[in-house]
Amino acid sequence: MELLKCVNINKSFGNKKILEDINLTVPRGKIIGLLGQNGTGKSTLIKIINDLLTATGGEVLVNGEKIGVESKKIISYLPERTYLDKSMTVDKVIEFFTDFYDNFDADKARRLLADLKLDTSLKLSKMSKGMQEKVQLVLVMSRKAELYILDEPLGGVDPATRDYILDTILSNFNEGASVIISTHLISDIERILDEVIFIDKGRIILHSDCDELRTKENASIDEIFRRMFRC
Amino acid sequence: MLGKLLKYDFKSILKTIVVFYILASFFAILTRVFFSIENSLVMNIIGQICQGAMISMMFSIIINTLMRSWVGFKQNLYGDESYLTHTLPVTKTALYISKVLSALVTLCLGVIVIVADLFIAYYSEEKIELIKNFILPIAENLEFSISFLIFLFILVVFVQISNIMQCGFTGIILGHRMNNAKIGFSVLYGFIVYMASQTLILAITFLVAVFNESFMNLFVTAEMVSLDVLKTALYMALISYAFILVIVYFINVKLFEKGVNVD
Repeated sequence: MELLKCVNINKSFGNKKILEDINLTVPRGKIIGLLGQNGTGKSTLIKIINDLLTATGGEVLVNGEKIGVESKKIISYLPERTYLDKSMTVDKVIEFFTDFYDNFDADKARRLLADLKLDTSLKLSKMSKGMQEKVQLVLVMSRKAELYILDEPLGGVDPATRDYILDTILSNFNEGASVIISTHLISDIERILDEVIFIDKGRIILHSDCDELRTKENASIDEIFRRMFRC
Repeated sequence: MLGKLLKYDFKSILKTIVVFYILASFFAILTRVFFSIENSLVMNIIGQICQGAMISMMFSIIINTLMRSWVGFKQNLYGDESYLTHTLPVTKTALYISKVLSALVTLCLGVIVIVADLFIAYYSEEKIELIKNFILPIAENLEFSISFLIFLFILVVFVQISNIMQCGFTGIILGHRMNNAKIGFSVLYGFIVYMASQTLILAITFLVAVFNESFMNLFVTAEMVSLDVLKTALYMALISYAFILVIVYFINVKLFEKGVNVD
């Protein structure tokens, strides 16, 4: 059974169509890049999968079941923004994750945070935005999830931090799990991807295996993307 | 999971409100201390100031409990924090129940603190006797004990405030179904739902009055109503507000289960 299946997903805000007939299947054990320019519907699709938006039409199935408590147990989601209660300390946030997620590995989270030389007794409000984002990434990657959905994890960070983020993702995701990474910074992420999905104007215009695509087009994913989305 | 949600929601509201509990209690103690010093105009003036501060803190407890519940509801379920809240492995109904219960418990706690502070500030055997003498004839006429009458009165106020709180939640849920001006629509819808609930209560009261001549006096005369009417009105208010609370609860849960659209 497919890990994630989107069937004819549509989303409109008023008369404006954001997503149109999105059909998507995500198998297990793959790292998939959800690529597209800004404002093409990547985050909207991710939000629908995570129950943060209600689709106007169609349905999302995780392990064959509709989005709900069971799907949320196995999806680990990193949003594009800082979403934790800033009045909490990192220790309290770890306690929160331990309380709610059975698959959260608190020891792993503490180990990763120690690598960052981060004082876990510190309140999130006392940290820089970049540090808060790293904490969030650590928390999300410390879950033994079946599907990791990372929305713009590289957005607005320096190249050194990008490398840290990619390494954290690669070395920490659960074996046999899949990862969906949404980004428009393709050159940074290309090396880790198994499959790519190009999304434009709310439609999936390409879904392919990375190696097959490179061979077929005789170009890198970044070059293919630039060609397809040239203004 | 509901227990865990309650733990965090309760902590979240209480960490702000507890400041007002402490301040109200502090001014209650000062009020008692300064009023207990006799024959001193200065002490009496300071006592009056402390009394004013205590009363304003008591109002703040109720107002801030409502405000904090609404702000928490909005932040947790529609703000940045909603990205965490809605991805927790819990049902939408559990999320809503937790918000309502934590707000109600905090409201209840606020009422207890207020009553306790009133005792701290004003308790004396003579004053209790005075209140008893004032309430006793009413309680006897209604065939209630004094404590039951006071309890019933506080309960009616409590369900009324609970209704305001829940109408606010409805307003936020409905307001956030709009694409723009979510705050404006939240306030507007909250007000509309509250007015609708009040109109419904008025309609229920009128319906009862059609079959009860003395109760009809509430609508047709400006004269004092009998104590018997007061008894019916108290029970009516309690039952009507409880009914409205349940109705609005089910509407909110249904709306919430339909899904959210966070920014």
